[in-house]
Amino acid sequence: MIFDAAVAGRTLRVSVRAQDGAYTVDLDGRHFHVEALFDGPFLSLSIDGRRHELGIVRRGATFTVTSPTQVLEVEIRDAARPSDPSPRRAPSGPARVTAPMPGKVVRVLVGPGQAVTAGEGLLVVEAMKMENELRAPRAGVVLDLPAREGQAVESGALLAVVG
Amino acid sequence: MSRTFRKVLVANRGEIAVRIVRACRDLGLTPVAVFSAADRSALHVRLADEAHLLGDAPSRESYLRIDRVIDVARRAEVDAIHPGYGFLAENADFARAVVEAGFVFIGPRSETIALMGEKTSARREAVAAGVPVVPGTLEPLSDDAAIAREAAAIGYPVMLKAAAGGGGKGLRLVAGPEEILAATARARSEAMSAFGDDRVYVEKAILRPRHIEVQVLADEHGHAVHLFERECSIQRRHQKVVEESPSPFVTPKLRAHMGDLSVRLVKRAGFVNAGTLEFLVDQDGAPYFLEMNTRLQVEHPVTEMVTGVDIVALQIRIAQGEPLPFRQEDLIQRGHAIECRVYAEDPDHGFLPSPGRIAGFHSPGGPGIRDDSGVYAGYEVGVHYDPLLSKLVAHGDDRAHAIARMTRAVAEYRIVGLRTTLPLFARVLQDPGFLAGEFDTSFLESLPPDHQDPEQVDLAAVAAAVMAFRDRGRAPEAQASAERPSPWWQAGVRDGHRA
Repeated sequence: MIFDAAVAGRTLRVSVRAQDGAYTVDLDGRHFHVEALFDGPFLSLSIDGRRHELGIVRRGATFTVTSPTQVLEVEIRDAARPSDPSPRRAPSGPARVTAPMPGKVVRVLVGPGQAVTAGEGLLVVEAMKMENELRAPRAGVVLDLPAREGQAVESGALLAVVG
Repeated sequence: MSRTFRKVLVANRGEIAVRIVRACRDLGLTPVAVFSAADRSALHVRLADEAHLLGDAPSRESYLRIDRVIDVARRAEVDAIHPGYGFLAENADFARAVVEAGFVFIGPRSETIALMGEKTSARREAVAAGVPVVPGTLEPLSDDAAIAREAAAIGYPVMLKAAAGGGGKGLRLVAGPEEILAATARARSEAMSAFGDDRVYVEKAILRPRHIEVQVLADEHGHAVHLFERECSIQRRHQKVVEESPSPFVTPKLRAHMGDLSVRLVKRAGFVNAGTLEFLVDQDGAPYFLEMNTRLQVEHPVTEMVTGVDIVALQIRIAQGEPLPFRQEDLIQRGHAIECRVYAEDPDHGFLPSPGRIAGFHSPGGPGIRDDSGVYAGYEVGVHYDPLLSKLVAHGDDRAHAIARMTRAVAEYRIVGLRTTLPLFARVLQDPGFLAGEFDTSFLESLPPDHQDPEQVDLAAVAAAVMAFRDRGRAPEAQASAERPSPWWQAGVRDGHRA
């Protein structure tokens, strides 16, 4: 199954397949072998052998994931059947890449018109002294690229469109 | 005069009521709990032998009702009442009412509470005992213009404080004369709603101070000792969140000096039972007496861990008329202890309270770890009271060892369903300034903001997607992972005995 996971201002494409009691997870083009033990509100995950002890609570499509250092809310949508009824917003349509938080564009890694694969880095935004690589949410062509290196951006500002 | 108790009423709630219930059990005494309508299923109620309803959820209808607490004490035929901290713990009228009703108050005499609990008379007492105090008014002022005049005379910046205060309520830092009137109005209104008393006083603000306090114990036979210091400089909104003992800042000489000052003041005031003297220590290492808390302190466990003394049990034994079982020279600080206060607050959003149901709760353990919590999985954290869920304490051979154990415990602790201060502690415990022991009361304000770790974002997305995959095809109502508590428990706890 393919999901769109909206978290921390980004939308990640996640595909999950069950395999021999475990899962094969594809996150923006990267593949992981995931083992999961659900224990009530706790979730013990092994991702390619690395252990993660989490808390997870679901309310409708919103999952609140608690780790020792962070609490993140993840909105999960079925990518095959988008719950957003607005017209012409098929999963194959253009995907907008926006700034997850206020920051500065430090590098633009692609050019307009360039073909990209899902998960390929598009640009790097620095926020709170951390560099974040923003990746292509889907394979396609860079249709629009308003981001400029050195530019200060507000949270939610449109940086690139891939379609 | 020695008395032997059989039953003790715990006039409090939350983690501190649980702590006192446990001390009663350790001494072979029967603990009796009280609760408000919002606390029928609270942990302290569940752990007690008897529990009695005081009234509605607002504390002035329940935990602050002296008449109802005394009434329960009569019906339950207890011998003594332990007030905990907060609520009625520093209310001299309550202490007097308890004694007049024929019970023992586990704490100082009501006259001592009045003398030392009121900050201005405590300061006068300190001055008389030769204990240095922060320059300021010795009298609470009810006239706003007088406050502005005093502030100008002392020199800005100044601190406004509620005369009946504590816990950071009614406390304001005022940078200059243009802010004084508005700040006074806010301080008065906070003080009024928190303590029913809007008198405030003004004193010089010591910039970048250390907040260091000294634990004292005194019996009815004239013996008084100190149990060394606690470092309480890591605060948010003037409320402590991390405490430790010993203080990395205090030299053996300063420790002995502050201990001597404390015992001197306690003896002069005729203080009996457990109390804490709070000091500000300026950047030159000079201590100024700030106030005395005439009751058990939230952070008493760090002192218990380094001295091996059960302070709460000793409070009860002192109230039974027993002499202190040790003298000053018998007491030593062994190793190092740190406490992290786990609040239901969102540290990423200005420490906003985060009430809600605890969907999952896993408390850490192992060597050197103590978790004094007042909650459990399925418990609903309400909006009526202080959002302190737990006090996590780590003890080690030295400070680095205690920090390593606390880091391990914070990483093991799982509280699911609401925001807590746990992620903040993960950051504090690896901050270079904290590790070096170089910090003051402005530490949290200068702590760098949390960064958005891309790995954490990926991890959360994978976790949510795997759960959504597992839940595929389930009915929407079955997807809510948090079940509601069954109503049998709510109905089962009524006024009176627990099954």
